[in-house]
Amino acid sequence: MVTIILNKYKLLDKIRIGQQKLEDLLFNLKSEVKPIDESNIEIEINADRLDLLSSDGIARAIKGLLEKELGEAKYNVIDTEYTLIVDHVRTRPYALAAVVYNAKIDLEELIQFQEKLHGTIGRKRKKVAIGIHDLRKVDTKTIEYKEVPLSYKFIPLYGNKELTISEILDKTEQGKLYGNISIANGVSPAIVQENGEVLSIPPIINSNKTKLDESTEDFFIDVTGTSFEAVAQTLDIIVSNLAEAGGTIGRVKVLKSTNSSQSSSPLLIHKIQNVREDYVKRVLGIKISEEEICKHIMRMRMNCDIENGVIRVTVPQYRVDILNEIDVVEDIAMSIGYNNLEPNKYISINYGSYDYITLVERKIRELGIGAGFVEIFNFVLIKDRKLLSNEYVKILNPITEEYNAVRDSLIPVILDFLSKNQHAKFPIRVFETGDVVIYDSSTDTGFRNDKRATYAIMDNEVSYEDIQAPIHYILKSLGLEVTYKEENNNIFIEGRSASIVYENEKMGIIGEVNPDILIKFGIEYPTVIAELCISQIAKKLHNQR
Amino acid sequence: MLSENEAKILFFLRDLKRATSLEIATKIGIPESSVLSLIELLREKGYVKTEIKSEKYYILTEEGRKRKESGLPEDILINTLNGQEKDLNEIKNILDEDFNIAISWARRKGLIEIKEGKVIPKVKTYTSPEYLALSNLEKADTNTINLLKKRGLIEEKERKVVNIELIKEPKEFEVGISNLNREMIVSGEWKKYKLRKYNVEAFPPYYTISKKHYFKEFLEKVKDIMISLGFKEINTGYIEMEFYNFDLLFQPQDHPAREIHDSFSVEGLGKIEDKELLNNVKEIHEKFWKYEWKQDITLRLMLRSQTTATTARLLASRPKAPQKVFTLGKVFRPDAIDATHLIEFHQLDGVVIDDNFTFRDLLGVLKEIFYRLGIKEIKFKPAYFPFTEPSVEVYGYLEKLGWVEMCGAGLLRPEILSSVGIHSMAGAWGIGIERLAMSFLNISDIRLLYSNNIEYIRDVKVKIE
Repeated sequence: MVTIILNKYKLLDKIRIGQQKLEDLLFNLKSEVKPIDESNIEIEINADRLDLLSSDGIARAIKGLLEKELGEAKYNVIDTEYTLIVDHVRTRPYALAAVVYNAKIDLEELIQFQEKLHGTIGRKRKKVAIGIHDLRKVDTKTIEYKEVPLSYKFIPLYGNKELTISEILDKTEQGKLYGNISIANGVSPAIVQENGEVLSIPPIINSNKTKLDESTEDFFIDVTGTSFEAVAQTLDIIVSNLAEAGGTIGRVKVLKSTNSSQSSSPLLIHKIQNVREDYVKRVLGIKISEEEICKHIMRMRMNCDIENGVIRVTVPQYRVDILNEIDVVEDIAMSIGYNNLEPNKYISINYGSYDYITLVERKIRELGIGAGFVEIFNFVLIKDRKLLSNEYVKILNPITEEYNAVRDSLIPVILDFLSKNQHAKFPIRVFETGDVVIYDSSTDTGFRNDKRATYAIMDNEVSYEDIQAPIHYILKSLGLEVTYKEENNNIFIEGRSASIVYENEKMGIIGEVNPDILIKFGIEYPTVIAELCISQIAKKLHNQR
Repeated sequence: MLSENEAKILFFLRDLKRATSLEIATKIGIPESSVLSLIELLREKGYVKTEIKSEKYYILTEEGRKRKESGLPEDILINTLNGQEKDLNEIKNILDEDFNIAISWARRKGLIEIKEGKVIPKVKTYTSPEYLALSNLEKADTNTINLLKKRGLIEEKERKVVNIELIKEPKEFEVGISNLNREMIVSGEWKKYKLRKYNVEAFPPYYTISKKHYFKEFLEKVKDIMISLGFKEINTGYIEMEFYNFDLLFQPQDHPAREIHDSFSVEGLGKIEDKELLNNVKEIHEKFWKYEWKQDITLRLMLRSQTTATTARLLASRPKAPQKVFTLGKVFRPDAIDATHLIEFHQLDGVVIDDNFTFRDLLGVLKEIFYRLGIKEIKFKPAYFPFTEPSVEVYGYLEKLGWVEMCGAGLLRPEILSSVGIHSMAGAWGIGIERLAMSFLNISDIRLLYSNNIEYIRDVKVKIE
């Protein structure tokens, strides 16, 4: 989700509707409106609708829904004498340019539009970077995109003296943020005039030379990046929205220095997408005629015509989100309005079924309550230092050290819980059931969730039998006549710990917690714990069915 | 009404008529201090009258205890002589330090004569009355007592004696008892007594009651709803490959949601045996998103950021239509933890695969799920998810919060279905559970769903639903 802030009055004035109507229409275009202050509103735009990132794009879409303008928006496009020579730039090989004349824009909004495109399709300028210049200040008709050494000098935007590119990297905020994206082998990509003067070093910063101001109406736009598709789409969206503001789009010749093939930009990519009437009906589950389908497509500012029963949709350059027939169907649904589509009554004729482990877990929880343990529920993530084994999953990019690993047993989880409840009324008898993650080389990830049930008693005095008795009868209630085999490990006191065995397989462990472990958790009272492997138990019970 | 111990005292006095508090205490087996307070209660109720007297009594001195053990020196002297004369020196050796006392008391009592250094006994054996009195001070006469005092064998003490006299006979039915036992019930003896009244209006002592966890119960309720709607439950693990979390769901490899701060990564790579599936996904990504799809990215491990990964695994198994499947489980996403955000939370993901499933059918399923969850009013908003088209967000009306976004849903994109060879239609959704739970459990801080305060957990009210 991307948000833009717009002047409410300017926007409402463009489309001549009230605020409530605006909110309703935008809601149906996947967007939500929040007031910021008296005159500004914040609009949430979905990441697929890049064409809505400016007030002009929003106006274009809304005029369609209001049926003030239907079908593709028509913009003036003329040829110009400008040429972009694209040299071999290794870190971001693709570049296109365009000019726009006589566009009446709000400078602040244009900068916001540029930044939002940088953040979305531009992937924080890694994939695409945009330079917008005041055309009046561009001195030559031929512009070159090439690599320049870092000793190259120019005055960066909002600067007052010439700096080398190296200095810009070191000293400016932009240089620090974006320098590492494009600089390699001691050179930087640059947009330069014929006379060698720098207009911008994408994706870092423009030159102060062609700085925009409130009076700028003619623009030179360069877009560079690592994906030709994304570069072309970005340029199409920018010129379309400037044209929506009254501008005339000017084509720039694009020359590849390497193979001298010539083309021009913006591409203003149009795609033909056929849409089948029965497909629309089948997907949406509605009755609708071809003509109605076409009408809805036109309302969504795309062209539509019907030829020999085939609905042909012309997808204009600003609708980069339309990939396939299904995307047009969604637009039809949006034009109809989702809330005008009556939900079909849901009727179920079959029975559902629980995952078997859910049923076993439920019984074990009930028996835990019956045995007098209060159920608790803790996080799956935990601080690695609290874990008692070395086989846990560590998170490579944790948000906080408190939660930098995945629990591999519920014992440390419950000990951590007890440590926080030493001033509560005693005895503390608690249990938790839940998933832990353990290594398992037989799975495709090498890990497996394992369902456990862990019980603990903390009291002024407590012993092995206090926990063994309830656990024994919980298991007996499940039909498992278990035995106990002394098993010593560092968690429990030697000679006071056992594995719980059924049919020669270990179903869990039980014992009095070693005071060394208690101290590690800051626990001052004797504690006994049992951990059962529900996954194992479920397997046994399942086999016995 | 009489208490059990009061009754015991009265029944004891019924035979004796009078007794001291000490006697009562010894016979009944209650400490004397308790007897005194019970007697006071009985006096107030008019059953007894009491008289407090001072009484002298005697206890043995240390020497007295010693003599009681081994005998008085003069007795030892006479019995040792056994009627024979003996030299004084010889006797001195036998009696040692008691020699003087023995000779002097034996002479004073006229038991011996001394002539020419010899002791001549006048009797063959002797037991002094003082010795007998040492074992039975209460019965001893005044002369003996005085003698014992004089010889320093006893010490005089004084104590208060409460004499109690019965003045009103108790009746059995007046007796109240606290506890019934089996014998009393079986024999019918309980009828003789009154069961004492308690202060039934007083609060009881603290008592822990075990209960299921409130949030777990909510999760189970959600499962029950899905089962009642005819869905089959499935579960998969927390550690997931990017393939199932993203790639299979048509999320391009440079999608912002795949950046390092949007999901938790785990070291290692998974493996996928299904080469055809890998290839299909690669082709579709490269065709529509126009970039070079990389297998080492798709195999990277992470903590799943959506339970849609479980749905993706179901799709990868190429299930036959019709299918109605759900999963309810934890997902993990980096975020700042506060009253409304956690880094792990639950999602309910579901999918319906059916030949004639439509978008309106999907809206119908969602409406029904929310209706059963208790949300009667919902509205639909167009949305964007990489894996669905058309996509929809469901907003539900909550009394305290107004319209709240609750669910993302849509029909699975044909590109995804074709990559797993499904030719039917399919609708899927993911519902965030914590926010719903907070609303229904009336909790304003999300962290309380996972409270680590036992008193809070013990005190939570149980929901009737």
